[in-house]
Amino acid sequence: MTDLSVAEKDAGTAPVIELRHVDKHFGDLHVLRDVCLSVGRGEVVVVIGPSGSGKSTMCRTINRLETIDSGEILIEGQPLPQEGRELTRMRAELGMVFQQFNLFAHMSILDNVTLGPREVLGQSKEEAEKYAMELLERVGVAEQAHKVPAQLSGGQQQRAAIARSLAMRPKAMLFDEPTSALDPEMINEVLDVMVELARGGMTMIVVTHEMGFARRVADRVVFMADGQIVEEGSPDDFFDHPRSQRARDFLDSIGGH
Amino acid sequence: MSAARTLSMRDALYEAPGPKTRHRVRIGTAVSAVVVLLAIAAVIRQFWVTGQLAPRYWSLFLQWTTWRFLGQGLLGTVAVALTAGAIALVLGLTLMLGRTSGVRPLAALCRVVTDFFRGVPSLLLIYFFFFVPAQLGLKMPSFWMLALPVALAASGVLAEVFRAGVNAVPKGQVEAALSIGLSRAQTMRRVVLPQAVRYVIPSLIAQLVVVVKDTTVAYVVSFPDLMQNARVLITSYDALVSMYLVIAVIYILINYAINKASVYVAHRTGVKIIR
Repeated sequence: MTDLSVAEKDAGTAPVIELRHVDKHFGDLHVLRDVCLSVGRGEVVVVIGPSGSGKSTMCRTINRLETIDSGEILIEGQPLPQEGRELTRMRAELGMVFQQFNLFAHMSILDNVTLGPREVLGQSKEEAEKYAMELLERVGVAEQAHKVPAQLSGGQQQRAAIARSLAMRPKAMLFDEPTSALDPEMINEVLDVMVELARGGMTMIVVTHEMGFARRVADRVVFMADGQIVEEGSPDDFFDHPRSQRARDFLDSIGGH
Repeated sequence: MSAARTLSMRDALYEAPGPKTRHRVRIGTAVSAVVVLLAIAAVIRQFWVTGQLAPRYWSLFLQWTTWRFLGQGLLGTVAVALTAGAIALVLGLTLMLGRTSGVRPLAALCRVVTDFFRGVPSLLLIYFFFFVPAQLGLKMPSFWMLALPVALAASGVLAEVFRAGVNAVPKGQVEAALSIGLSRAQTMRRVVLPQAVRYVIPSLIAQLVVVVKDTTVAYVVSFPDLMQNARVLITSYDALVSMYLVIAVIYILINYAINKASVYVAHRTGVKIIR
């Protein structure tokens, strides 16, 4: 089980996130095939691949928004709980950023960011709001704190959503195509926040189509196709010398690189 | 809140008419106006012919006591409708929560109860409350013999209205709530329900109109609501058509006001969750 071909940054400690032989079907569709992945502390893993390759599904299995048929998912060496308080606690420790932002539509941005800390971590209003404002400042939407999501641009919403996740002080962050729903001119403002997070040592799994981001920030690129991890390696290796035909075809089809 | 869209439902559903259509609309408007006027004239003429416009049918409306009696009935109607509405809201919400709880037997029970109250005519429920408690030796005030069945009948519909609202909340909202560690119950209470209720406020208030109309069968249990008091006046003054016309107008005004209120409330609360 331990023959995972990964180069961990901090060898010796348990990986923050580990998937072991994960399989999943949607009806007849085999969406995840024997997926093994290990992410060390502070590591930034970028997952790329054609649409329908299972990369989003994999990302969502890690905090059990999708269940798995077989295999194991470990968070800091502990199996991902199936339900109940243990599961909610584990989810609270894993930040997730969605393609569609999913900010709570009926709440102000500030309330979006403080809901988790207040309801789950039991923080006082003052405490939660103080940290929320710090985070909103950091992602550059502090001035929008008292607006509702619909009043913000897509880029601002996604940055606020990142702040909402960070407010839980997560051990790791999962990004599920965070820029795919954005207008082109807003993509960079979100990527900049993610770059800063990565530089700050956050453990991250990023499902994305932003190859520039992958090259610049990733410690490791994971290429998925047809529910399998076909290839993984350093960004330079992967983009300049892809080993598999699938990866070469994919890189050709998206052009550049 | 300037983000409110000015696009109305009508703009969204129909394309703007072209010159020929506008011409046809003008002709249609003129023709239908004439037809409506003719119909009104025919009704008035018929009233005249049958003597319904005679002063003896209308003079009672010049007496203060008539209006006071009708006013008392109106108060009864309002009290029953509001009570029944409030009970139906709580019960409907409870039924919906039970049905969507994921606990199989509870969900099944709530589903059966919902469908039962939705399917049974409220008059039947009123008869039930009129006869059954009495059979069991329970003395029930006529107010409750009316308010409870009307509330039960409405709760079935409201449970479905709430469920539609909950289903209308995008899945991503739930996923986001779960992803920050909220439990199912917290997600429902803090994220799903507040949005679901905003979605269905217009339907909830529209259902209040149905509740108001349901209360008009109060005569079955002899509760003095507007309709029952009107019937008393009809027998004592022998003024059937004029009285029914007047209280019809009153009911229309009440329900028109409720509908106006729903549009207002929907507008106020809707702005906040435009996506």
